[in-house]
Amino acid sequence: MENSDKTRRNFLATVVSGIAGLFLLNRFLSPRPGKQARTLTLAGAVIPDQGALVYREARLAIIREKGEVYALDLVCTHLGCTVAVTPAGLVCPCHGSRFDRRGKVLEGPAGRPLRRYAVEVGSEGIIVKLA
Amino acid sequence: MFKGFIKHLFPRVVLEQNLRLSYTFCLGGLAFTALLIMAASGLLLLFYYQPTPDRAFPSILFLESSVRGGRYIRSLHRLASHLFLVLIFLHTLRVLLTGAYRKPRELNWVVGFSLLCLAIFGAYTGYLLPMDQLALWATQTGMELVKAAPFGGFVRAFLVPDGVGEALSLLRFYVLHVAVIPLALLLLSLLHFYRIRKNKGVLPFL
Repeated sequence: MENSDKTRRNFLATVVSGIAGLFLLNRFLSPRPGKQARTLTLAGAVIPDQGALVYREARLAIIREKGEVYALDLVCTHLGCTVAVTPAGLVCPCHGSRFDRRGKVLEGPAGRPLRRYAVEVGSEGIIVKLA
Repeated sequence: MFKGFIKHLFPRVVLEQNLRLSYTFCLGGLAFTALLIMAASGLLLLFYYQPTPDRAFPSILFLESSVRGGRYIRSLHRLASHLFLVLIFLHTLRVLLTGAYRKPRELNWVVGFSLLCLAIFGAYTGYLLPMDQLALWATQTGMELVKAAPFGGFVRAFLVPDGVGEALSLLRFYVLHVAVIPLALLLLSLLHFYRIRKNKGVLPFL
């Protein structure tokens, strides 16, 4: 290497301040999220005995199974598309993953079962406990 | 100074073999032209696009319906981006097949590859901006996929601090697409051309 007018000390100082700068930049670019909603209240909802109550915008399906009531998260565990609730079952339209009423994977590229949330049936309606 | 810059682009002496079209098919130059077209059309689109989740799609609809030439400029931008990617890939193929990555052009190959990656990332960030169904779900699946790569979690947290299609994430994609990536593309392209001329290779003009 040819002789440089920068000393080893200069180089090290540059590298260390570069790394420190990147660290601070990363802190600036990672905001702390506000309080997430911990419950979702669905007013005046009636859960059918055999089907499911589907909320597409909220991506939830409320299901009654042998007396137990729960909410199934309709975010496909493969790559995040919204799972469609059809008479033939729960199918993800993106890559064809299939799930059963309890969220277990029946087929398809998804590997993990759908998330389940606890549900409280109150006087105002159904409260889904998200967190 | 401007005249000096223009003049230096046309050297006094060139090698005859560099003038054959079949040498490079001018793919790199065409790709750069596509980039310039995207810069110009993109600049015009900037006057109408609004980078917030509720205004993004309506602003595009407004551009297409009520702006004279709006649909044309938007299509031009989109087609230029398709052309850019195709030409860059063909150019890479040409470089590979003519061995133009060998000594003394190793650095230039690395610069060129960075340009390729930036071009693809630029196309990806631009894809989300209209916030239509195609854009949203392509980004949703893409950001899930990113988690599979090493350090994917950090990359995803940087690109999508709140959800896909929420205010902060859209703004990040917007800033990357409109400022960061074009600047990086431009600087690396100029370095790329400088290296080519320094190596006394390829066509004598852009």
